[in-house]
Order: sequence, then C-alpha cells, then structure tokens
Amino acid sequence: MLEEFLTGNDLYHLVKLWAYQGVKVPRNFRLLEELEEGQKGVGDGTVSWGLEDDEDMTLTRWRGMIIGPPRTIYENRMYSLKVECGPRYPEAPPFVRFVTKINLNGVHNSNGVVDTRAVSALAKWQNSYSIRVVLQELRRLMMCKENMKLPQPPEGQIYTN
Amino acid sequence: MAESSGTDPTVDSNVVENAAKDRTMIVVTVKTPKDKEEIAILEDSSVAQFKEEISKRFNAKLDQLVLIFAGKILKDGDTLNQHGIKDGLTVHLVIKTAPKATSGSTSQNSASSSGTPQANSSSSASSPVPNASTPPGTGPAIQPPNLLSGFGDLSSLSGMGMGSANFMELQQQMQRQLMSNPEMLSQIMDNPLVQNMMSNPDLMRQMIVTNPQMQQLMERNPEISHMLNNPELMRQTMELARNPAMMQEMMRNQDRALSNLESIPGGYNALRRMYTDIQEPMFSAAREQFGNNPFSALGGNLDSGVQPSRTENREPLPNPWGPPGTAPSESRGTGSSTTTSSNGGTAPSVSSLPNPLGINASGLGNGVFSSPGMQSLMQQISENPQLMQNMLSAPYMRSMMQSLAQNPDLASQMQNPEALSVMTNPRAMQALMQIQQGLQTLQTEAPGLMPSLAPGGIPGIPSTTGGSVAPEGPPPPTQGSNPSADVSPSQQQQQLMQQMLQMFAGGVTTTQAVTPEVRFQQQLDQLSAMGFLNREANLQALIATGGDINAAIERLLGSQPS
Repeated sequence: MLEEFLTGNDLYHLVKLWAYQGVKVPRNFRLLEELEEGQKGVGDGTVSWGLEDDEDMTLTRWRGMIIGPPRTIYENRMYSLKVECGPRYPEAPPFVRFVTKINLNGVHNSNGVVDTRAVSALAKWQNSYSIRVVLQELRRLMMCKENMKLPQPPEGQIYTN
Repeated sequence: MAESSGTDPTVDSNVVENAAKDRTMIVVTVKTPKDKEEIAILEDSSVAQFKEEISKRFNAKLDQLVLIFAGKILKDGDTLNQHGIKDGLTVHLVIKTAPKATSGSTSQNSASSSGTPQANSSSSASSPVPNASTPPGTGPAIQPPNLLSGFGDLSSLSGMGMGSANFMELQQQMQRQLMSNPEMLSQIMDNPLVQNMMSNPDLMRQMIVTNPQMQQLMERNPEISHMLNNPELMRQTMELARNPAMMQEMMRNQDRALSNLESIPGGYNALRRMYTDIQEPMFSAAREQFGNNPFSALGGNLDSGVQPSRTENREPLPNPWGPPGTAPSESRGTGSSTTTSSNGGTAPSVSSLPNPLGINASGLGNGVFSSPGMQSLMQQISENPQLMQNMLSAPYMRSMMQSLAQNPDLASQMQNPEALSVMTNPRAMQALMQIQQGLQTLQTEAPGLMPSLAPGGIPGIPSTTGGSVAPEGPPPPTQGSNPSADVSPSQQQQQLMQQMLQMFAGGVTTTQAVTPEVRFQQQLDQLSAMGFLNREANLQALIATGGDINAAIERLLGSQPS
C-alpha cells in the first residue's frame, strides 16, 4: 500500500529507520544493505542474491545464484542456492545449501547442504563477511583443481528435500 | 515520476501515455560477466518483453538469454514488477551459446567446430564434460564419451541413412541420450564395429586428435596427450567406460584420494588414509558387537571427514573381533618408549583418528586421547596395523569392550590417565588377568570369602595384599607391597583398579593389585637419583608414560601434561 505514496527510496529509508529502532539493529541494517547491493548488482556479476520472499520482514530467507565459472565443468550453468541468515547473523555465518544439484567437494550429495568446514568463508566467518562473500567463495571453489572437472548431474536437476 | 503533460499538444504520444502515470519507463542495467548495458523499458513489462530488448542490444537470440535478479532466474512469463525490478537496479545476464559452450558474449564456437561433417567430432567437448552417467574423473578418462558419441553418431547416422542435414544436432542429441542412459553406452561399447575401432589405437588416436575441442582440451591438460600415446591406457579406459558403476567408483576414488593428498600434506595424511583402511571394517565389526551402544557411534563424526570407502579395491582386513590371536605383549613391547613430545604435538589430530579401542573420542571428551600413553599407542598402531589387530584380538580386550558396553560409567574412569597407562601396559594387563584368574579360583575354593569383600573397597587391604594377591609373573617392579607415601593418589588408583578388576571378575569385587607407585619404584628411584626431586610429579610422569623413564623425563622437562 505504501508504495503508492512513496518511492522505492523513501520506503527504503523508512524501513531503515525501523531497523534502527528495532532490537536487531545491526542485523537488519546489515541485511538491508545486502539487499540493496544485491539489487544493484554490486560485484562482478558472477553471483546474485536477494530475498526469497520480498515480504519477508525478518530478512532471513535469501536466494542466491552462482554463474558457473568458464573453463570448468560448471561453465554455462546457473546454480541456485538458498541462504538462511539466522537471528545471530552477521555474528554467526549463514546456512547455505544448493538447490541446483551439483557435484562439488564440501556439498552434501544428498541434499545440497554446504559443509561449513569445507568453505573457509564459513569456517572462519567474520561479521564483515556477507552473502556475496560466501557465494563468491563457492564460485572460487568451483575453479579449484580438485573440483573443476568433477562430473556433474544433468543440468536443471534440483535437490528435492 | 512523470508529470502530467496532457495539456501540451506537441508532446509525442509516448509521453502522453506516460503522463497517465500508469506506465513509466525505467532504466535497468543489464550486466554480463563481460559487458554492461543500460536498457530503458516500461516498468510493467514482462520478462519476455525485456528479453526482446536485450536480445536486440546484445545481438543474441531470445532463447539464449537467461536473466537473473536478486538470486532468482527470471522466467519469461513473469513481470519485472513481480521481481521488484525498478529503475536503476541491475539484472544479470547470461548468454548461453549452446549447451556446454562458453557463456557470456556471442560465440558460436561450439557450433562452428562441430560443423565438420565427420562423425568423429563431438560438439560438447569444449568443457571437460563428462556429463554422463559415465563420469570420467581424470583428464584422460574424459575421452570415452566423446569418442563414443562419435561412434554413436556413426551408428545413428547409418541408422537414419544420413538423412539429417545437421550433424551437430545429431551429435548433440546423441550426447544427450548418452547422458541420460548409461546402458546405451554399454550397448554402444558392445557393438562389434565399435570394438573393432577401439582395438585399433592408432585410429582412435587419430579421431581424438582431429577433434578441435579435444585439441583445446589437450592444451589445457597435457596429460591427455601423454595418455594418447599410451595405447594400453586407452584400452583400459575403454574397459572402464563399459562399466559406468566402476567408472564412477574409480573416479570418486581418484578424486577423493586427490583431494586428500592436496588438502593435508605429510605424515598426518598418510596416517589418516591408513586409518581409513583400518577404520571401516573395524567400525562395522564394532557396531555389530555393540549394537546401539553409545560407543558405537564411532565413526559418526569421522565419516564426514573421511571419504567414501573404496570398496572396489581394498582387501578385507581380518575381523579384529575374531578369534583371539597371539598375545600382544611382545608387540606392545616398546610402546611406551615413543616420545611423548611428538605425540603431544599431534594431539589435536590424533583425537580425530579412529580409536582402535572403539571408543568415541568425542563422546568421552579428549581425556582418552590426550594421554600420552594412548598417543604412543596410536603411533605404534599407525606404524604397524598388524599390531592393532593383535591387540584387539586379545581376550582381555574383548572382555573390556564388553564391560565398557555394559558399564558406561567406566568410560569416565577411562579418562583417568593413570587408568589408561595401566591399560596400555600389557604387562599390567596380564597381571590383571592373573588377578582375575586368582579371584575366580578363590571364588570356587572359598565362596564364603567373596561376599566379605565389600564393593566400596577396602583401603587398608592394598597395603597388605599389595603384591600378594596373585603371583605376578612378569616384570612389574618386584618390590614388596610398599604402600604409597601419598595416600590420596593411591586411594584414587585403588578405586580405579577395583573398578577395573570388577569388570574382569564379572562383578566380583576384588582388591587392588599393585599401585603404580609400587610398580614404578625402581624408576622413581632412578629419577630422584637424577635430580628430579618432586616425587609426586615423577610418579605422575611415570604413570602417564607407563614406566618409561626417558619419556617421563621428557614430560617432566617439558610442558605440563594436559
């Protein structure tokens, strides 16, 4: 409703204000920033992220997309991910799982869940890191020798659980 | 927001439309990994309409475009509004040239390369794609699908009478079919024509080399060209291709082994792999024995760190829970003499290694593993897997395991380093066995005597029966039963011993055998002669190292034991 009377910008500022006043000031503020960055395409364009549901006021469920790096087996594929930023984010790392099936070291074969220990951004998480950092690291992992030639499932398959 | 300009007749129709405020032009940035363009589009457009504009600007076909915004792929039927795409925001674009070709800009390179009418070229080889159910893990092994799609094309061509004008399509189709149907691959392999060709390595080599994608591949991966020169290897690879399951297995093995190698250099890694070899059968055997016992959650946290079992090529190790082998005492001989300092250094990693005793380290906390005695044991075992089997097959181990299973309290006792050092000292264990036997004899001979030995333990007794309960054949210090100077540690020890003996005697309470202090009397004397005057520290060190003086000295000189 508000959108009719306010521009996107105004709305954004209003929400920021709200974020400041809430208990979870740092978290919401941070996530709003990340939302904005995701929409503005900050970065080199090889990863993308945004809220799974725009109405999600808790800013918890996010969607990510990684474009498979060239000259690897992941080339030309787009990998969809779910990222969940819990209540302690950004002090605690987010939960990440692949939606698109992938064969990558550190990703569970059965459900696409990313093993925190296998991704250094998650294992050694700092609160200055962000969803973008995690996605970019996963993309870098795809370029590693040990991963770049792993045979992949047919394109377009997703984990069902 | 556009202002209403409906009153000005010279304004063109576009603006008039916009003036109604129903529709607004927005400028959206479209970004590819290589390029960036700003595209003006009506706010309420559909994604399909947006793509039309993009297709013009980027010179690409509609079906090649994939748009991503905020982590989601934009479907043609969606609207920009739906996804919240507004003025000034950025949408990511991926231009697909053909399946498995390079992304980003224009590129019909894969199309052009497969334009060659020869059936031997395969379109989708630009990326080292296995994409099939016959995953070739290593570089060289990638050959088969390409070759086979080549062969496949031949067969399909002959089948269709060369009807199709577009070989590329055929090949792509073939590839796709191969991908989805592993049996097809084996069928192809079984085709005598194919086999004929395959048995001629030169021909194969020729076919491979002329394929431009293959050439690209060879550039990236020089191993491939080596492989091409080795006909034996090629044949082997072909064999493998026949059997997709085996291929997968082998590939996984190699990849896992590779990642293993790459991740952690050095001895730890070798150890780890050896443990993996030993761990699997052990744990499965252990699980069988313990059923749902909490201790049997053995490999739980280890499995995730350890790679899938190499079922294809590992010889089965003898069942460690099998019939008792020779007594381990001789093989345990120098166990305690290994330096504790190096073990201390590997403590963190050791705790993640499989526990030969089948105890979940994380379950028991690190107490079990931080004991240098235990660590030296591990080291011994790593150097000699046979040792572990010997150890495990000893009868006392078995009964201990059983008791452990029945009595989880014992686990906490196990954390006591003194208890552990006793456990790891085979001579001590033998002594305990003898005690057990003695007690059993006593039980039969004088049943009346047993009940009088209360479970709580009789602190007084050890001092008198110290060395006399059972004739201790071997080694332990032959000094008489000199009660400890310090009461409290030995009381603790006594209780421990009692508990341990309890389990051996199957619930019959016993007295304590020998206090560590008594056992180490000789060593203690030596240490004090050398100038280590802190008797208690000496004792602790000796207990921890199982009587090894040198190791004890190192302990005393080094940092405090954990």
